Amino acid sequence: MELRINQKTYQVDADADTPLLWVIRDDLGLTGTKYGCGLAQCGACSVLVDGNVVRSCVTPVAGVVGREVTTIEAIEDDEVGKRVVATWVEYQVAQCGYCQSGQVVAATALLKHTPAPSDAQIEAAMINLCRCGTYNAIHSAMQALAKPESA
Amino acid sequence: MNNPRFARTAGWLLLACLVAAGVLAWYVTRQPATPFAQESTASADPALVSRGEYVARLSDCVACHSLAGKAPFSGGLEMATPLGNIHATNITPDRDAGIGTYSLADFDRAVRHGVAPGGKRLYPAMPYPSYAKLSDDDIRALYAFFMHGVQPDKQANIPSDIPWPLNLRWPIALWNGVFAPTAPYAAKPNQDAVWNRGAYIVQGPGHCGSCHTPRGLAFNEKALDESGAPYLAGGLLDGWYAPSLRQDHNTGLGRWSEAHIVQFLKTGRNQHAVVYGSMTEAFNNSTQFMTDDDLAAIARYLKSLPGDPQRDGPPWQYVAADTRQDIPGAHTYATRCAACHGSDGKGQPEWMPPLAGATSALAKENASAINITLNGSQRIVAAGVPDAYRMPAFREQLSDTQIAEVLTYVRSTWGNHADAVDAKAVGKLRGHTDPASASPIILQMR
Ligand code: FES
Repeated sequence: MELRINQKTYQVDADADTPLLWVIRDDLGLTGTKYGCGLAQCGACSVLVDGNVVRSCVTPVAGVVGREVTTIEAIEDDEVGKRVVATWVEYQVAQCGYCQSGQVVAATALLKHTPAPSDAQIEAAMINLCRCGTYNAIHSAMQALAKPESA
Repeated sequence: MNNPRFARTAGWLLLACLVAAGVLAWYVTRQPATPFAQESTASADPALVSRGEYVARLSDCVACHSLAGKAPFSGGLEMATPLGNIHATNITPDRDAGIGTYSLADFDRAVRHGVAPGGKRLYPAMPYPSYAKLSDDDIRALYAFFMHGVQPDKQANIPSDIPWPLNLRWPIALWNGVFAPTAPYAAKPNQDAVWNRGAYIVQGPGHCGSCHTPRGLAFNEKALDESGAPYLAGGLLDGWYAPSLRQDHNTGLGRWSEAHIVQFLKTGRNQHAVVYGSMTEAFNNSTQFMTDDDLAAIARYLKSLPGDPQRDGPPWQYVAADTRQDIPGAHTYATRCAACHGSDGKGQPEWMPPLAGATSALAKENASAINITLNGSQRIVAAGVPDAYRMPAFREQLSDTQIAEVLTYVRSTWGNHADAVDAKAVGKLRGHTDPASASPIILQMR
């Protein structure tokens, strides 16, 4: 089947129900997207599909045929994604870093839909797990990004 | 008081009682008639044995008569009855532990009439009220399979824990007299061969009604074929709600085509639903092995059973969700459920089922919705391949209140219009479905 990932077209030979995460990491070697739980619980595997955040470990690959997938590798090609990464660096959010590609993707998706989210909206959207407990740093970075002047 | 009239009346009464007792004793220990009295040995004809294996698949014998890790058909599954717990028996051809000494006639009496050699009545946890409809040919084939296609195994039967006198079996004969059919399925001349084949499988070997037909006070299925309105109208069993298989728009198969039904029984999934709960076993062990023709026949028959708009409620239609996040349960849905089932409730068919328009989100009975949220789904193995996606269990992560709220949200969004779920109902099922609790659910009749 034919997949569009990070503005490139890939020919992939996989069963229809293969999780998108396996295809991205194992078949295409895009290993920036991480495997955490495989059960839609942690968010480490978050990618954008047509600008919406999805958990690729529970996304059958057949479901994204004909749609535009964006992974962490290309997130800075997106204006919003670029700002998110810059702010993440500025606030030194990452600790071990394992979950952060998913966090950045989730933040990008939120800000693309809601450029100036309220605290409640941030809290509702930024639900990925982080074993290092960088939640406060994530929240500070998000508050900075949510300020209209930083737009 | 030496009244001769009194003495005569008393005498007659006594005689009548004795005659009645005699008739009763005869009736409850009587050996039902069987057409196989003259056939003593099982044919080992490979074609017949493999035909019998297929009948065993249709009948899903393995579901109750086998335990994981034990020899096939060596028995053991514990089942609850209103009187106490019983265990499915060893039906391998072992001569001591199993049914190796059964003649074809003995086998027929057990399978179709619920009577073991010696006249002992089986508990109707064995679905002989359905198996009664099996054809003579299928019984002969099934017998050949159990005698020549199954390895004998020495596993001893486990006695029931039902106390005396409740463990006396003869009253079951009276139950049978009222509730169990005695004749094989007879084709309806006004229906075609496909419909009749479907009716035969659904009513007979498939024993679909054991779960999908509501039960009466005597734990009898309220109807055993399409002549009764309650037939396959949905039943509550073992903490799951087996939905209607009639043409009910919301809670039945009204929105399913014949092709959808075939796909569901063959692959375990279609655009409407994925098998879960008790149906997982029926799919893993039985329906996926049925031939395409038989599945098509089942679909044809089920599509002929009318729904009941009165029972089913106003027909569901998709309504885009109100995006307010302040409805209780909406946040839990967004964080726990939406990744698979979609924020629009439409799921990712056929892999993750939609919740918009789902039976569990429209049925009055909420047991299935609660149970799957607490305990997740079991492994679906289709054509030897385990499923890639499975509903996780949320019993450790969500409280009774959170589960009640999120299910209430699901049952009142996207056009779904079922009652709210009460946290107490969640708490109750949480207890019953915890094997370590004081009152775990033990499987009931199948
Ligand atoms: S790996 Fe996909 S959500 Fe955890």
